[in-house]
Amino acid sequence: MIDSLLLIALPYVAIVVCIVGSVWRIRTQAFGLSALSSQFLESRKLLWGSLPWHIGIGLILAGHLIALFCPELWRSLLANPTILLVIESAGIGLACLSVVGLMVLFWRRLTSARIQAVTSVMDLVVLTLLLGQIVIGMIVALQYHWGAVWATTTATPYVWSLATLQPDVSFVADLPPLMKAHIVGAWLLILLIPFSRLIHIFTVPLEYLFRPPQKVVWTNPRHHEATAFLSDDEARRDFIKGMAALFVGGALLSVGALDKVFRFFFGPRLSPKEEAEIMGTRVKRLEATANEKKLELERQTSDYIFVAKLSELQAKEGKYFIDFAMCPALAFLDGNNLPNLISAKCTHLGCTVLNQVDSQGRILCPCHLSYFDIATGVPNAGAPAKEPLPHLPWAVMDESGKMVAHKSANGKIIGTAPAGNAESYSVFLAKHLAEESKA
Amino acid sequence: MDVRAQVSMVFHLDKCIGCHTCSIACKNIWTDRQGTEYMWWNNVETKPGTGFPVLWEDQKHYKGGWKVNGNGNGKKDLELLSQNKWDAFIKLFYNPNQPGLEDYYEPWTYKYQDLFDSPAGNDQPTAIPVSQITGEPMDIQAGPNWDDDLSGSNQYAANDINLDALSDEERAQLFEIEQISMFYLPRMCNHCANPSCVASCPSGALYKRGEDGIVLINQDLCRGWRACVAACPYKKIYYNWKTGKSEKCILCYPRLETGQPPACFQSCVGRIRYLGVLLYDAERVADAMKVPDEALVEAQRGAICNPFDEKVIAAAKKNGVSDEFIFAAQKSPVWKYVMEWKLALPLHIEYRTMPMLFYVPPLLPVMGKSENGKYEHLSENFFSGLENARVPVKYLAKLFSAGNVELIEASLKKIMAVRHYKRSLELGDFDIKLVNKIMREADLSPTQAEEIYSLTTLATPYERFVLPPIQREEAMSPTCSPEVCKGCEGFGCDEVPHRGP
Repeated sequence: MIDSLLLIALPYVAIVVCIVGSVWRIRTQAFGLSALSSQFLESRKLLWGSLPWHIGIGLILAGHLIALFCPELWRSLLANPTILLVIESAGIGLACLSVVGLMVLFWRRLTSARIQAVTSVMDLVVLTLLLGQIVIGMIVALQYHWGAVWATTTATPYVWSLATLQPDVSFVADLPPLMKAHIVGAWLLILLIPFSRLIHIFTVPLEYLFRPPQKVVWTNPRHHEATAFLSDDEARRDFIKGMAALFVGGALLSVGALDKVFRFFFGPRLSPKEEAEIMGTRVKRLEATANEKKLELERQTSDYIFVAKLSELQAKEGKYFIDFAMCPALAFLDGNNLPNLISAKCTHLGCTVLNQVDSQGRILCPCHLSYFDIATGVPNAGAPAKEPLPHLPWAVMDESGKMVAHKSANGKIIGTAPAGNAESYSVFLAKHLAEESKA
Repeated sequence: MDVRAQVSMVFHLDKCIGCHTCSIACKNIWTDRQGTEYMWWNNVETKPGTGFPVLWEDQKHYKGGWKVNGNGNGKKDLELLSQNKWDAFIKLFYNPNQPGLEDYYEPWTYKYQDLFDSPAGNDQPTAIPVSQITGEPMDIQAGPNWDDDLSGSNQYAANDINLDALSDEERAQLFEIEQISMFYLPRMCNHCANPSCVASCPSGALYKRGEDGIVLINQDLCRGWRACVAACPYKKIYYNWKTGKSEKCILCYPRLETGQPPACFQSCVGRIRYLGVLLYDAERVADAMKVPDEALVEAQRGAICNPFDEKVIAAAKKNGVSDEFIFAAQKSPVWKYVMEWKLALPLHIEYRTMPMLFYVPPLLPVMGKSENGKYEHLSENFFSGLENARVPVKYLAKLFSAGNVELIEASLKKIMAVRHYKRSLELGDFDIKLVNKIMREADLSPTQAEEIYSLTTLATPYERFVLPPIQREEAMSPTCSPEVCKGCEGFGCDEVPHRGP
């Protein structure tokens, strides 16, 4: 309830109020629009406040926006661990920079009498909110590492779900409360934009880069009358340009439609033989798919799935196989020379876990960096995944098909490590053992 | 040819008595609001001196105005000294070229109520000064015209950066008679033809009116980035700390539009101010401002068009300049001072903004010399003694002709020749041959001398201020009532102005 209030209702209210309020203020309250600089009254402290603050927050905001709007690009960039490390530490550094700047600005506003003369209650509210927001953001970044990556699969789809009018809190529902506070803080700040000096974000003068240096305004109608023939000429030129653009656009659009029409009337005609060949290929393709499905079904209905020879299993590098539910799983060799089968489907968002075991006996989900202990399946503290990876039941059989050891789904291992030639023993994923334990 | 009209100004410095009536008239009308207490759209400085804000002429510090950028193939471009496109963005969050309150002064008032409310006691009650910004008691460090008449002092006069033009000997000469050598320099917005403030405004709030060339700030578009404050080399744009908007001299356009001269012109006690229309070719402005320093004044004169030339008139009409404007341009006292007689010169044209306010340089000859307790007249040869003028010609050249001494000398010689001519007529104590020689040297005809004498000394307001009907009511929407806005934070806006949240 509180989640849907703060994470669905608040954002919509904030965005609507921000857009409507800002447009209203820019259109009708233009005199009150200003960056409200106070450098004139106090300049030394401002240098150490405004500059670090704006540089820090500008770059951090840019990072957030890239992760929001180009998550694919961002993720592929961060796939390289060096880049990830650089971006993560740069983020922390910039956050420190902006916190320092903000503290200086706060201190300046509280201590300088001249600045107090131009300080409103809203200024202090905004400063406090910004400070809280950025400190919470820093704590989240420090406590839950690699936020640059996991935010693209939590916060980004959440914002997109809002943007596409299909709000889905589940993307962020499991996030720690601090991270939720960070999101709520962002909406609050957006809500305040039209009512505070934050509106100066919308007045960044980008048009300055593209305008001619001098600006002359003629208000006297005589000038317009005298130069009317010029404007007529210009209007004609504009009209022709517009028509040309429309024509080109229309032509491009109609190429597709014309192509269809052209093919219908003048396209190549197929002979019956050619048609039969094409049909035949399609039938073959369908048959192949049906066969695959049949195999899958067989596999799902069979009692055992062959995993590997016991000799092929290693303790440090898992072997991938597909389990009964058609999900990836990993097979390791445990300390007793017996297999250890564990699901490789991350319990967070279902990525396939990597098969390399690290020095602490853990395997890594590369998507959001959850480490799972292969002995217990439990993820590391603070990982996005909360549930352990389930272990799978297995059976070891000799060449004659006699079961020498097995593990049921309740984790009990019956039998011992087979002695002698490991080559002759095979490891199977066993379905009935799982069912037995359930029964 | 893109002929435009410009309402231009001439200040005759020989007539300025430094009474500050112009400044007060302006202040009472326009800058008596909170946030504008420190602003002096019009101020009068004592020269040599450091001016207001302090050392405003030091463009190494403030980086106002334009510079010429030469590229490889001999093409030259005008570029802002600072605040050009990328520079403005780098300095958006902190601008090192901005003047701060310390460079002006902290405005204050007195606690007058204390005089009435103090309890009875042995001492007279006093009204202590309190800051108009914080409302707290303050020590007054500086104020308006703080260096008024202090040209003798080392603290102010010696720091004038225009003195760099002088040799040590000339400096010594200037300070030898330090108590008496100074003149007043009234300053206001020059309403430049090539304004660097307009070019620097990131929001596009500053503009030049096409009809009369007045440079204005659209208060609804201004976002308070303050690039103009840094870019105006004359520091004639002020930041209103209360509203977060910049403000400047508006040449009293509401008065001009109703046929009255601006308040500072109307109130001028010494009648030093002249107002009239100049026609100029807007296409030639940028090129004119690319020439070397010494040629700038001539280049500016080249961009000003002759209002009697049929071609110019036709081009002006094509631009929508009305017959009344052209008629006013033909009668303009500014045309006479600047172009016909070449007496008036622009202030610091080396900033390349093409200022449209011109100054007749002050004539400060050494009339006598006190030696061994005896004062001796030197009037017989004072004309030849231009090099020994009290304020060195080089100093004046630094101010009014970008270092070109010849232009200053030509102007001063003419003023001197008029005086000789009139004295020989009125008193007859000069040798007529000498007067004729002086007139020839100054390139002055007796008719011109009479005209200069008449316009300088006897002119009526209608001759000094030749105002065309501007007829803005044809196009403008009414703004909020002055009665509503008087005393509040701004003016000239559709809405009642107030500081944003």
